[in-house]
Amino acid sequence: MQVAALSMAGINLESIDRYRADLSNLLKSCGADLVVLPAYSALVLGLGSGAFMPGPDMAGTLYMFSAANEDWNNLFFELHGDLAGKHKIFLAAGTTVEKEAGCFYHSAYCFNPAGELCCRQRQTHLTRVERELDFSRGEELHIFKLQGPKSDGLEAGLVVGNDVRHPEVSRIFALRGADLLLHSGALAAGFNCWTQAAGMWAQVQQNQFWAVEAQLSGNIAGTLFGAASAVIGPCEITPGQSGYLASGYPLSPVVTAALNEKDRQSIIKDYPLLQMLNRQAYNDLLAF
Amino acid sequence: MAPLGWKEKLFQHYLAWVCRPARLKKHLRSQLPPRRRPVPVDRRRIRTAAIQLELKLFKGPFDYVDEMHRRTREAADRGAQLVVFPEYNNLPLFGMLPGIEKMEEASRDKDTGKEAAAESSREEIILPDLYRYMSPVVKPLVHTVFSSLSAAYGLYIMAGSYILADNGEIVNRSFLYGPSGELVGNQDKVHLLPVEADWQVKRGSSFPVFETPLGRLAMPVCMDATYYETFRILEYSGAEIALLPIANLQEYNFWLALRGIWPRVQECPLFGVKGALVGSVAGFTFTGRAGIFAPLEITPNRDGVLAEVEPFDREAMVVADLDLKALEQLRSNHPWRDTNPALYRKYFPQIYRPGGRDMGTV
Repeated sequence: MQVAALSMAGINLESIDRYRADLSNLLKSCGADLVVLPAYSALVLGLGSGAFMPGPDMAGTLYMFSAANEDWNNLFFELHGDLAGKHKIFLAAGTTVEKEAGCFYHSAYCFNPAGELCCRQRQTHLTRVERELDFSRGEELHIFKLQGPKSDGLEAGLVVGNDVRHPEVSRIFALRGADLLLHSGALAAGFNCWTQAAGMWAQVQQNQFWAVEAQLSGNIAGTLFGAASAVIGPCEITPGQSGYLASGYPLSPVVTAALNEKDRQSIIKDYPLLQMLNRQAYNDLLAF
Repeated sequence: MAPLGWKEKLFQHYLAWVCRPARLKKHLRSQLPPRRRPVPVDRRRIRTAAIQLELKLFKGPFDYVDEMHRRTREAADRGAQLVVFPEYNNLPLFGMLPGIEKMEEASRDKDTGKEAAAESSREEIILPDLYRYMSPVVKPLVHTVFSSLSAAYGLYIMAGSYILADNGEIVNRSFLYGPSGELVGNQDKVHLLPVEADWQVKRGSSFPVFETPLGRLAMPVCMDATYYETFRILEYSGAEIALLPIANLQEYNFWLALRGIWPRVQECPLFGVKGALVGSVAGFTFTGRAGIFAPLEITPNRDGVLAEVEPFDREAMVVADLDLKALEQLRSNHPWRDTNPALYRKYFPQIYRPGGRDMGTV
């Protein structure tokens, strides 16, 4: 199965039509069966196209965007559903902020090759800033099957932003059968390779699933985002045992890789990490 | 383990005699300095040493004692208040067994293509049986050595871990000694390597935290750091420093070595100190890099590393100061750390129930 992570670098955001054309070209040229966009994709497009104005800072912009984005979200979903259907791919469209029953959630969306919404995932662990913005936590983790001739029947889950730093999320996904996690992330530009390693790379190594990590490249109200998108697997089945099947630079528009599921099953058989869990010792985790 | 013959029993008695505590103490008395006072504790600077021990087989107990002493003295001379030794720290004592050379010969034979001879020799020596056989000797020896060293230098010493027989079962157990020479506590390895499971090592079932003037200390063992659950439980229990003995049986690779304690201290903010066993003996090659790790947010280079030895295959040591106040401040106003009790209540009883499925939808 061919997968790709997009950073949104090099995509023209000045209008919906330009964005649609550029993204469509990129989806076609990368030849992937599954593509992941980064976090805040809906916000970045909204700001770039002039549909929203930036606030005084990142938090303020997010707040203003959250307050009045219902129509925008619908347009965003329709646009990405169309593109998924047109290219017959799974398209994890990145994230937006959704409002339900007076609560705000940072959520990711994935569309299937028929252009239908196949998964919506709310972020379950908030940053300090998100708590200050009064965001709410999702309380479920959804797994969906990747149906298709090249998908190897893999089960996938969406990981939203800060959830990648909380190993509970990945462990729940892994023990419920997820083979592949699709992470939409956004990290401030700068020296962040270790922050990334402490995130999805670490989760892949302790759970032995695949991950496609799309990291935002862009500017939101003066905050520069620029980490490296990547496709990650267990160290033993990746070049140089690095854990990276592919990794870009912050401004790489796209990284792609092929997932060899037989390799992954082989390493799980040789070194069954999850079978060696010692549940008798975890009572303290059940105290909630 | 097969019943011991009279020769084996006799040799075991001999080992117990040459390793008897009184003899070791007398030897140490001639070597140790006058008792040093513990360095006053400043929670902004807990000086800690991570030892990288190069594996050698010692023919007699004094060689082992002298080696542990030498390494402890090096750490003490650099001002360490807390010293961490590696996993399988009883392997060097296998050198006292007269037949042990067979394993080395078998390994060499294998390297030179004499596979059949190697296999035949290996079959005669079963590692868990060796651990059981040595156990009555190792336990008092370890206590005598590290109790004496910690008292003499006024240090906390995590003596590494030892595969020992305990009430008929084998455990992989680490020990912590305090500056009065007292045994502060021990920890049995909770997550086993597949090979240890094959040896029927008994798994530990809890993660104790030890309240000391140097902070709240814990000492999970090697593979325990592969699982976030270990460090989350330690974090919930208030642990501030995890002392981790390791012995990795693999060729060195930066990324493979990065797995373990480094990602764990990022997920569950605390300090991590890794003592490593390295070197080759009897066909087994251990690699690693001892080091001292912390959350990215409180390391000067934002890389999660306070100090790490350079070589991965020979003896070394690093020392660093742990700032427990900085850790406290980070925890109290963490930029991204969060909990979601509703989520955990929904899924944890399913995924963590004893006997639960390892994979598959629940």
